[in-house]
Amino acid sequence: MRALTLFVCLPLLASAQVRVEIFENLAKGEELRPAESLRTEQYMEPAFGFVRTPIKYSPAALPLDRSTPFTLKAKYERSLPAAKLRLRLRARGAAVLTMDGKEIARTKPQKPNTSGDDPVPPPPVIDETGHRPAPYPHQDVFAEISGDGASHRFELVALIGGKGLMPTPGELAVSWGREGEMERLLGPDHAPRLVDAEWEAFVARQEQTHIAADRARRLAASEATAAQWRARHDKVRAFYQARLVPVPQAPTGYPVSNDIDRFLAIPLAAAKTAPKGSLSDLEFLRRLSLDLTGLIPTQDEVTQFLAAPAATRRKQAVDKLLNSPAWADHWTAYWQDVLAENPGILKPDLNNTGPFRYWIHQSFLDGVPFDRFVTELIQMEGSNHLGGPAGFAQSTLNDAPMAAKADILAQAFLGTKLSCARCHDAPFHPYKQKDLFSMSAMLAGKPVTLPAASSVPIVEGARKPAVEITLKPGDTIHPDWPFATLIDHADSGALPAEGKLDSRRQLAAFFVAPENDRFARVVVNRVWKRYMGLGLVEPVDDWANAKPSHPELLSWLAREFVLSGYDMKHLARLIVNSHAYQRKPVEALTEQNASPSKRLFAGPLRRRLSAEQLVDSLHLAVGKNFQCEDLNLNPAGDRAPNQFLDMGRPTRAWQLTALSNERDRPALALPIAQSLIDVMSAYGWRQSRQNPASSRDDGASPMQTLILANGVLGTRIVRLSDDSAFTALALADVPLRRLISDTFFRVLSRPPSPEELRTMTALLEPVYASRKVAGADSKYVERRSDNRVSWSNHLSAEATVIRMKEERELRMGDQPTAKLTSAFRERFEDALWALVNSPEFVLMP
Amino acid sequence: MISRRHFLAASAATGAFAAESAPPPKGKATACIFLWLGGGAAHIDTFDPKPRSRSKSQAGSYYDAIPTAIRGESICEHLPRLAPLMDRAVIVRSVTHSISNEHAAAANLVHTGRLPSGTLQYPSIGSIVSSQLGAKTEEVPAYVVMGYPNIMRDPGFLGAKHGYVYLTQTETGPTGLIRPPDVDLNREDRRETLLGKLREGYTASRPNDEFVKQQDDVTRQAFKLAGPKFLNVFDLQRESPELRRSYGGEFGQRCLLARRLVQSGVRFVEVSHNLNFLNGSGWDTHNEGQLNQHLLIQELDNALSSLITDLETHKLLDETLIVVATEFGRPPDFDSGGGRGHQSLAFSMLLAGGGLRTGRAVGRTNDLGSAVAERPVTIPDFHATIHCALGINPHKNLYAGTRPVPITDRGAPLTELFA
Repeated sequence: MRALTLFVCLPLLASAQVRVEIFENLAKGEELRPAESLRTEQYMEPAFGFVRTPIKYSPAALPLDRSTPFTLKAKYERSLPAAKLRLRLRARGAAVLTMDGKEIARTKPQKPNTSGDDPVPPPPVIDETGHRPAPYPHQDVFAEISGDGASHRFELVALIGGKGLMPTPGELAVSWGREGEMERLLGPDHAPRLVDAEWEAFVARQEQTHIAADRARRLAASEATAAQWRARHDKVRAFYQARLVPVPQAPTGYPVSNDIDRFLAIPLAAAKTAPKGSLSDLEFLRRLSLDLTGLIPTQDEVTQFLAAPAATRRKQAVDKLLNSPAWADHWTAYWQDVLAENPGILKPDLNNTGPFRYWIHQSFLDGVPFDRFVTELIQMEGSNHLGGPAGFAQSTLNDAPMAAKADILAQAFLGTKLSCARCHDAPFHPYKQKDLFSMSAMLAGKPVTLPAASSVPIVEGARKPAVEITLKPGDTIHPDWPFATLIDHADSGALPAEGKLDSRRQLAAFFVAPENDRFARVVVNRVWKRYMGLGLVEPVDDWANAKPSHPELLSWLAREFVLSGYDMKHLARLIVNSHAYQRKPVEALTEQNASPSKRLFAGPLRRRLSAEQLVDSLHLAVGKNFQCEDLNLNPAGDRAPNQFLDMGRPTRAWQLTALSNERDRPALALPIAQSLIDVMSAYGWRQSRQNPASSRDDGASPMQTLILANGVLGTRIVRLSDDSAFTALALADVPLRRLISDTFFRVLSRPPSPEELRTMTALLEPVYASRKVAGADSKYVERRSDNRVSWSNHLSAEATVIRMKEERELRMGDQPTAKLTSAFRERFEDALWALVNSPEFVLMP
Repeated sequence: MISRRHFLAASAATGAFAAESAPPPKGKATACIFLWLGGGAAHIDTFDPKPRSRSKSQAGSYYDAIPTAIRGESICEHLPRLAPLMDRAVIVRSVTHSISNEHAAAANLVHTGRLPSGTLQYPSIGSIVSSQLGAKTEEVPAYVVMGYPNIMRDPGFLGAKHGYVYLTQTETGPTGLIRPPDVDLNREDRRETLLGKLREGYTASRPNDEFVKQQDDVTRQAFKLAGPKFLNVFDLQRESPELRRSYGGEFGQRCLLARRLVQSGVRFVEVSHNLNFLNGSGWDTHNEGQLNQHLLIQELDNALSSLITDLETHKLLDETLIVVATEFGRPPDFDSGGGRGHQSLAFSMLLAGGGLRTGRAVGRTNDLGSAVAERPVTIPDFHATIHCALGINPHKNLYAGTRPVPITDRGAPLTELFA
């Protein structure tokens, strides 16, 4: 409501901003004349260009669907010069533009389309003035008007979404200009002109503004919820305060940075094992940055780090990186695996979920306490296709979806693996099939029946199966909490969730209640493994037959976590500030196979970069963007979001998703996305997450080397194109020594050794002095896929030709810069190739 | 952990998990070429012809039928080169499953032999064969896909090491194995020398680290894999122009490449036939897709008949199993646009060579081809037959962690195809 007061006060005539309103639940036939009472949102935009609308949030900050269709109304008043003018209304669907209350332009409604055989439209024609052409299937409608120097009121009303359509505005815009001259978006005098470059810059700003505004809006919307969780944490603290975990004295000679090291020192001393030595400062920074943000440090970060006082620089770096928004990116990738987030962009079916990655990301970005995160996940509310936890409930083609979810939740947060119980009583676990299905019934909120496929068939005459089967297909199982040994009632610190006290909320209470100390232990153990490479309890998702290597440390960490109000950053800070984390790595294979009592954490385990860390860091090192296609096979927007998801243009690796080209159709290929996925798949990323996984396949395989060495992505990464940071470095007037040193810092976060410096100098020196080509221009053009191809026309031969051509062109890599001689460029590229393909890049320090 | 596995393996061996008590037949094939007719090839317009339809409102085949080398069995008139070679093949006319509404789900079923369960991701048949047989030599991969990488072809719980090398266009070669176009031998040499120094320095300063050593070992193995032996396989120019012509267009060239791959030691090659050029819709012949379906069928005829003959010439047919598979068939009646919808309850697949007792049709559909009339063959049965032909026990357990997962879901091989 504060926003309303704000713009009522604004004098409209001098307004620098366009006032926008959203209306929902429109009466049929009245969609373009929405009643004031149906207004649900009002905000400002700088001009009449609309590519996104604010996300709607629940009081718990979950994204919500708006009614479909909904209406966007934009108002603006300005004076027009005395001249013949042309106004352009550009819209994908129905829109009306009025001037002083009189209609001057109208576009037609968009129709849902189930075809795949439409023709590909001809390439867009750029008019003589150079206006950005309307993307397929947008309409441009013009109005000729005579300006008179006076002020006029403009109002745009546009319908967004509707049955069988994407609820997105497309490129909704109004522009104006003198006849034959370049148009500007309707708005203040300095509004962007309707040319590609200015439109794209405008859209990019709008994206950023909306992302920030959405965050502020959801935090404001959920203030009361956040306060309720804080109050709950006070109660929980009172409950936990008394559960003291005494910290032991470390034997002398064992390095101690914090209490974690005291717990670790005793078994190390008992085993007469010396802890590994400390990492150097630069090795530490690289490891820390990869662990907290998923990215190698930038050269600037390295410089700042080294400029800080030696005694405090490590702690400072920890605090700085914990505050990075990339913290959320790195955690999102982890929970996508653990929670089996598995969206399908094309007619979801293979155990697909909604894209609840966006809610995971926002939760970590907003620092949502972890007990609230889990509660919201279990409640499965909010929008499915916008990425709310409702998407967790989806499970296409699965005959027992809630059983699958119960299994995921129990593995993730209770260390209780119920997968076996899907079809029979677990042979090596104390769980029966009934346990899984009674939890599944709690999620369903009603009794469930055992499907026939979730059973082991008894074959007549054959021997009795080796597994016990206590349920029969068709048996009814009632909602019930199955793990009385973990917790038999959940009443301390009741959950402050909204809504009725239904059985999902009850289930959430059992998970996160402080009486259930398994929850906090499982979570801290997961975080420990993430940073140390191995859990205190292994496997982290299956505790039934496992023993902790350091039971007291586990309890201590769990208590710290709970007392902090389930704050993941507090936990991370404790671990990465320990001496143990900052040691040189121990050999991973021996350690992984050791019995719990032999796991000493003399240092963290040697690890390889995850697929996401690798792809993101490669791009960061060379300063290039993915330039990926939109992950959307229906850019025309004429199919519903339950059939085709628009997952946008990824900028971080976790945002990629399976490309769902089971149809093998070239016209459905997204070549750049595929080139990223090729690398990620070789490094253990799963394009399909049909089941939860707490650790990746970390085996080494030749494809890992090959795809990086020869693949499309690897080729683009090392290419000195005009957007490569190394092209800029090479063009600077610096001694060769400096170029080599900067290169090592950017890629490996360290200076070159004297021998490396000699090798690189010998390689580059003969061509360095003459490396520049005078007068050459930048050839940089951002890669863009042809957006005329959409599901509705993908069966046409032309769509196939277009995408196959893009695939072939991509194979050639990025356009090399003309500013460097090819003699120098090729040598420098080869040097870069060697650095990014070196084991030092792919393995963590 | 070991003892659990042994316990389960033992119980499987005693018949707790296996449906069949007789030992499965063991064929002699050593490699498999899996031709994928994505979209759902109409069985009544290809391998299971029925009386011809004379109008859109009359159900039936779209084409006339011609006799084949299998006595009493005919196939579509647009398969004239294949017809006389059909004594090398088996038509399985009674394949049946229940997913007809969605391509990806049905295609996934035909590739993995199972419906998704949500507790693990099942491996594709290519990955299973790769895991059981491995490549014949160290210098080639075990599993190659010519088509788009996607979930149904994935290794699932078997892990990335049983994944595939893929290519989407024969002219560009396999992704990751071919040097980028601007890197000549000179540059490649320079790159590997520079990298060699970095590798050496890194590994030497971390002695006794098995993890680092493994990483270095696979790097060495990788560069061997991208060596001339395997890459020469992709050079189709080495074949005679007549042979290349006889195989036909891109799909034919893929089949020719498949033969070369098998010759080089690859175990499983999947070749996708769905480029949409010829009739718009590929094998998914809704509406107007039907009109030019014969062009697809002719393309299949050229490629498949050439492949059979060519393998025979190289004395490889007996040890190479050719499979022609599709996600479902199509009903005998027509949609409003004159094309056909989907039908999964009865459709055809083809097997050829592989040392099987060929020259026969297995199973039968009813008069119109709309239902199985005799000897239903499930997808697990079909998979079991492929595995048996390759000497793999279809009841053997794979392990997803500690969980035993039989190679097929109680599939029973078509025993009549084994001598």
